[in-house]
Amino acid sequence: MSTQTSHRLETRLLGHEVSVTLSGPWTAYWIRFLGFVMGWYFLHAGLDKIVNWPFDAGWFVGGAAQASILAPVVTPFADGAGLAFVNVAVPVGQTLIGLGLVVGGLTRVAAFFGAVLMTFFYFVNGPGGAWAHGMVNGDLLALLLFVTVVVFGSGKVFGLDGYLRGTALVENHPRLQYLLG
Amino acid sequence: MYVGGGLLLFGAVVIGVVETLFGSPHAVTSEGQIVHEALVPLEVRSFIILAGLLVWLLYAVYKVSSADPSTAAADSAPETAD
Repeated sequence: MSTQTSHRLETRLLGHEVSVTLSGPWTAYWIRFLGFVMGWYFLHAGLDKIVNWPFDAGWFVGGAAQASILAPVVTPFADGAGLAFVNVAVPVGQTLIGLGLVVGGLTRVAAFFGAVLMTFFYFVNGPGGAWAHGMVNGDLLALLLFVTVVVFGSGKVFGLDGYLRGTALVENHPRLQYLLG
Repeated sequence: MYVGGGLLLFGAVVIGVVETLFGSPHAVTSEGQIVHEALVPLEVRSFIILAGLLVWLLYAVYKVSSADPSTAAADSAPETAD
């Protein structure tokens, strides 16, 4: 079996034929590196909240979110059962998303929900801090990096998804491949 | 795909350039904070960026639901951006 070190991708973009030459080793290395770092970003954030339990998201969903365009979606969770749900869902969600990306398991699902959480963080933290660092800030860049992991996947490189793709369950249900990296 | 990215770039970059060139004078503090009055309401820019993200989401759902799953793992499945 031959192993190419560079690959030429040809496609159409905005009506033009375009081609991109990618280094195989650098591409594989970089998407895995990116997935691992984004995974640790959320795994650390989730574990930190769990280790220092109890976690209270009231300041976010009931406070900062009131100035956000997402207020109609977020503020109904500001108290009672809604807040209790968020107080558990955020730490557990961040931990599972991070774990999935670090081990490369269910990579695209994990990165998708990472992007969903970052959407809330971006549109609530932004106006909460008067967009003091501009509209292209760390939250938006993290959101786009999660989308990058969704687009390219990373779990097939030294990840659990490489194994999961070969299981009978995935082979018998090809649509499950969309959940993997 | 283009519409989603276009909205995001319009909300974040194009209006950002307009703000920089034609907005009120603004200073950057020693902590990197940008202090100025916005020409285009930040809420409007937020809605434009959110619309771009939602268009991307809807496009992704459409592509996943309409694609033939048997070719999902193929390394050389032909596809054009649209």
